[in-house]
Amino acid sequence: MKTDDLRAAVRILRNSIQLQFKNNLVSGEIAGTLILQPVIFTLISVGTYVYGHKPDLGLFAITGTGLISIWNGNLFTSGDILRDERRRGTLSLVMASPTSLPFVLLGKSFANAILSSLAMGITFLTGMLAFRLPIGIADPLAFLAGLLLVIFSITCLGLVFGSLFMVTRTAGEFVAVANFPVYILSGLSVPLTLLPLWTRPLSELLSPTWGNRALIAAATGSGGSMLPNYLVIVALSLLYLWIARLLYRRVESLALKAGTLEQW
Amino acid sequence: MRQAWRMFSSGARASWIAYLVEIPPAAFLGMRIPRILLQSLFFVLLAKAAGGEALARFALIGNAVQIAVFVAIASMDEVIEMEKWNDTFLYLIAAPADWLPVMLGKSVAFYGDAAFASTITFAVLSAVLHIPLPLIDLLRAAPVILLIFAAACALGWFIGAFAMPIRYGYMMCNWTGYAMIIFCGINVPLSGLPPAVQFIGSLLPVTHGLLAVRALIDGASYASVLPLIAKELLVLLVYAAAAALTFGKRLRTTRQRGTFTQV
Repeated sequence: MKTDDLRAAVRILRNSIQLQFKNNLVSGEIAGTLILQPVIFTLISVGTYVYGHKPDLGLFAITGTGLISIWNGNLFTSGDILRDERRRGTLSLVMASPTSLPFVLLGKSFANAILSSLAMGITFLTGMLAFRLPIGIADPLAFLAGLLLVIFSITCLGLVFGSLFMVTRTAGEFVAVANFPVYILSGLSVPLTLLPLWTRPLSELLSPTWGNRALIAAATGSGGSMLPNYLVIVALSLLYLWIARLLYRRVESLALKAGTLEQW
Repeated sequence: MRQAWRMFSSGARASWIAYLVEIPPAAFLGMRIPRILLQSLFFVLLAKAAGGEALARFALIGNAVQIAVFVAIASMDEVIEMEKWNDTFLYLIAAPADWLPVMLGKSVAFYGDAAFASTITFAVLSAVLHIPLPLIDLLRAAPVILLIFAAACALGWFIGAFAMPIRYGYMMCNWTGYAMIIFCGINVPLSGLPPAVQFIGSLLPVTHGLLAVRALIDGASYASVLPLIAKELLVLLVYAAAAALTFGKRLRTTRQRGTFTQV
């Protein structure tokens, strides 16, 4: 990559991150996704465990709910980014411009993901206030590192799904479909042991599974090196980016050929 | 009366066409059905992890009803909101016809969608999770389940009418649907919830009806659950009245102010 290209890529990322932050500041939907969902899901998941006399699973439910909110926020808003471009009639302009659409989306999705990391704090706070659970993080640094890595990875995974939003007007339905398999297969709030064995390889391919393990290990201070977990998350992120790149190329060419981007 | 029926049936036709455009068969099979099943599966698995088979059965009944309530609330909001997005709100204002039968008709396909969501959730999840639910008792409970959907539709209409001038109707319905899992005793029994939560739940659709449904599935007679059914009916009437009044007010104020394009 030439220096000019690199500089342009950084500028695109910076501008799209800035634009998305500004959009989010005036969007009530983001507030709902960021604040309401973590609170509601924490109340449901931790409440169910407390009712079942298993409050010791409270921390598991809380980190799971935090990741659910991050994934949901990322996917929901990624779908919204393209739907809004479509509704405003600017999607075709973005597609026609020499700027790479995945770059724009990467910046916007990353801005959403960073913002959605607040959800993790909200789930912990809800757990502590509503259920008076004695929750602490044994290794805050490892927790923070794991959280940042998983946010990046979830952004990359969101891009894979995001490519499909370009060719469908039922993105809203798709978001809802893509949410729950990831929650279930990644063991977010629900133990993986409840699932059939054949689903295990699918779980291993999802970075939220590894992120969840890393965050729980850091929060409980269960010991052992976190490095293998981190490395798997990074490797999966690179895999997602590669897949997203291939998909965007394919979908972009399909969309340009069909010429139906204005038909939201 | 005949005119009202004609308005209702043309609304129902429009509803069916809008439904097919919004959710074509491929999206229905590839997205709608998986979404319905997976959302319920998540909450049932959560209950199973927390309380074993008994709580999983409890949550399955609750979620099989709640997923349809979820669909009903969001769809009814959309029925109202799409008048705004499609620029057809002004026709409702200008037309001499009564808007109520039209709007009721426009809701028909989505009511059917909710009934389907519940049926498929009961059928698939009880088989996949090996939770036996006697078919005959489920059929006995069906009229109460349909009553619950009607109450949920009224709530969806109310939210749609309330949220019309803002842009967050769908989001409000989404979070209302999830919040109802807490307040209406979907995943855990109402008796296990704090009194304040129980009180809020008693003001919402689903809560009383679902108690009746659970009792009927467990073999209780209709006579024994009549008070619960009456309460659900009352909740339905209150929300339906609130929805009709709010939507009527939106029509009146928009006509008075001439702000058709700013709804």
